Amino acid sequence: MKSKIETIAAGASWEKTGNTSWVQCDPCKSWFPVGPSLLARQEVKLHCPHCHREFVAADSARVIKAG
Amino acid sequence: MPFTTSIHTGPIREALILDLRAFLSAEKDAVYRPSQPVATVHGITALQYALEKQNRRPIVVVEKPLLANGQISDMPVVCNLTASRALVAKALGINDHRRAAAIYAKRTGSPIAPTILPAGTAPVQEIVIEGADVDLTALPVVTQHSGDPGPYLTAAHATTYDPDTGVDNTAIQRCWVKSKRRMTYYPYPASHNNRNMRKFWAKGEDCPVVFWIGHHPAVLMGTQAKLGYPESHWSACGGLIGEPLRVVPSRTFGDKIMVPADAEIVIEGTVPREVFEADGPFGEYTGYLGPQVAAPVCDVTCITMRKNAIYHDYGSGLTDMLVPDNMAMEGKVYSLAKSVAPSLQNVYVPAQGRRFHAYMQFAKAGPGEVRDALTAALAYRRLKLAIAVDEDIDLFDDSEMFFALATRVQWSRDSFTIDGLSGSLLDPSTPMGAKTLSKMAIDATTPLPPSPGAPSPVPPRSSVPEAARAAAEKILDGVLTDGWPTL
Repeated sequence: MKSKIETIAAGASWEKTGNTSWVQCDPCKSWFPVGPSLLARQEVKLHCPHCHREFVAADSARVIKAG
Repeated sequence: MPFTTSIHTGPIREALILDLRAFLSAEKDAVYRPSQPVATVHGITALQYALEKQNRRPIVVVEKPLLANGQISDMPVVCNLTASRALVAKALGINDHRRAAAIYAKRTGSPIAPTILPAGTAPVQEIVIEGADVDLTALPVVTQHSGDPGPYLTAAHATTYDPDTGVDNTAIQRCWVKSKRRMTYYPYPASHNNRNMRKFWAKGEDCPVVFWIGHHPAVLMGTQAKLGYPESHWSACGGLIGEPLRVVPSRTFGDKIMVPADAEIVIEGTVPREVFEADGPFGEYTGYLGPQVAAPVCDVTCITMRKNAIYHDYGSGLTDMLVPDNMAMEGKVYSLAKSVAPSLQNVYVPAQGRRFHAYMQFAKAGPGEVRDALTAALAYRRLKLAIAVDEDIDLFDDSEMFFALATRVQWSRDSFTIDGLSGSLLDPSTPMGAKTLSKMAIDATTPLPPSPGAPSPVPPRSSVPEAARAAAEKILDGVLTDGWPTL
């Protein structure tokens, strides 16, 4: 896994932490939101909605993972 | 004529056939037809946003859709078809959209089985495209929002069937057109179509599915009825329109899956077992970009359509898409709550609350009845706030609703939350990892009088005498107000 993963840790129940994970496409550097179940699946490639590159999460530039 | 017995209803239509083109013809004064080409990539949706900002809600027929490849499509695109509650109610033969909840509940609760036409005789099968000739990219499919990865079918009514009972199910579910014969298909995990698909997959079979596009708004409303499982949307739709819906066996699946005979376009295909591709991000009904997910795919076997077919696009997250589903929700919430609270008078699911809020009106509710009704309403999957008010509050006027909240609620006494209920996980406020939601109910009704004929133990609302109000309106009648300050 070459991509840098930043995980947003859940806080206390009264603290807002958001629920959206983001992936940054390496070549075009654009960010797009990705659901947690897709992030966890290795066999389904992500699809950059901007440059249309298909790639696995491990090949992304950065991942911000919620939870 | 159907539905003439109720003071709130009238005939749905004068034409012999209930279809989209008959509705557009009947409502021609409500239709805006831009003379210039409008781009299918963002342009059509931007036009809808601009109209919404102006609070104008015509049906829009784009006769020159400018495709991504620079060509003008021969097939017109209709959008904003259902952006007006008044027009949708009129399509149902309901004179006042504010009374739709009870009527919708009553009609869809009285199903009428469809009429089945012989295969190949229906208008929607006038043109048949099969095998290698199938080309989804030839349709003027719209790319709506920034961040959407490509063109999506947004008004594709996906019809599947329960392999155990054969009962049909229909829901609007998005499809990203990825190539000539393949598109993603995202049946939301809690949906009945998803349950049908999983049943086929569990048997080791691909799931048959058809997507039909373009029909009279009354039929669109009928096939959005919120039903139990398995229950037929064809029959619920028949109940709503007051006569059997005309259906015809699909080309690929025969009488296993029927399609509406008078739809504009039908796309038939199979959902291969356990095949997933990335789908989204997609601009959702919440008004936010939903995340990319792993979605099943549909391999298309056949497209049928009418001659001079019209393509229908729902503006996702706009009133165009919220109005019909919210009105169907009103019927469902009315049914749920009315069963425990006879004093329930009306329900409104406002578009500004997306699909999360319901306003409920009561008349002389008995002890505990309002809370019973609020609790029943919150059980409906998408709702997360239900507010109860009295008859003197206009549900359709937010200033009235806030007046009731401001003056009739002590929060610790009159509001309650219930955690752990099912809900829409597309709600951006959902906590990380949550599978259920926290929901709230507010009782903004006033207490009942202590005895019949006695005044309610709350102060009366301030008002001026009716004669004085009428005289004041007469003074202002015809006075030019240009330049007067607004709020």
